[in-house]
Amino acid sequence: MVARRAARAILRDDDEADDAVQEGMLAAWRAIARYDPERPFRPWLMRIVVNAALDARRRSRVRQAEPIAETLESGGLGPDRMAEAALLRVRLDEGLASLPERQRIALVLFDAEGWGHADIAAALGVPEGTVRSYVFHARRAMRKVLGVLAEGMK
Amino acid sequence: MTESPFDAEPDAELGRLLRERLTGAEPEAFLRRLRRVVAATPAGDQWDVLAGWARPRVMAMAVAAGFILWLGVWFASDRMSGDAEPAVQVASLPAHTVVMPQVARQPEFVTAVMEGQ
Repeated sequence: MVARRAARAILRDDDEADDAVQEGMLAAWRAIARYDPERPFRPWLMRIVVNAALDARRRSRVRQAEPIAETLESGGLGPDRMAEAALLRVRLDEGLASLPERQRIALVLFDAEGWGHADIAAALGVPEGTVRSYVFHARRAMRKVLGVLAEGMK
Repeated sequence: MTESPFDAEPDAELGRLLRERLTGAEPEAFLRRLRRVVAATPAGDQWDVLAGWARPRVMAMAVAAGFILWLGVWFASDRMSGDAEPAVQVASLPAHTVVMPQVARQPEFVTAVMEGQ
């Protein structure tokens, strides 16, 4: 679920992310009469969810975010590969944590969800060029953090 | 991972890693929870939109009505100080001047007042 992954990328806490998605979906539902059918629905909805997640992030900034639960599959791997996978998870978390929120969202929507620059720009309320810059910087940072590890996972 | 961060295409490997890392547990249960909550919440209806749209218009109408009333009283008091003609000028205004849904246009309003004189 795209909205849930985007919220998790922002909040890095399962429960908070789920609450934010729920809050965003309800806000969208209540505001559905204000939706302009001439414009694409997906970025409109994502914008509301992202804003809900950013609000939740601001509210919880004083609290220490708990790490994301272990969801990266390691089934069928030997001890060495499992250790490598665990290290990859840590690096992935570090990489995501090092990115500014909007870069993180742009990266997730572009690389993980396959959204186009235009849709991401509409969802974030920024020009397309800014989205390209976000993705560029986010990828560069992630490559630096993941480097050889990501190659090893192939 | 893709060698160049300039690539305009999604990076399949990085995308896979991100999806695996960010996909929450029990997505079906979460979807059920969402559907339940949304179904129990009434959707915002057209009245919300109309209310938001109408508020400035109502304000404009109130300002216009206040202005017309004030001008009427002003003309009336002016008349009272001169000769003894009927004082309530507002009553002689054409009805559309009073109930127009936007601020009265000045020339139309002045014409109406002058005709009243």
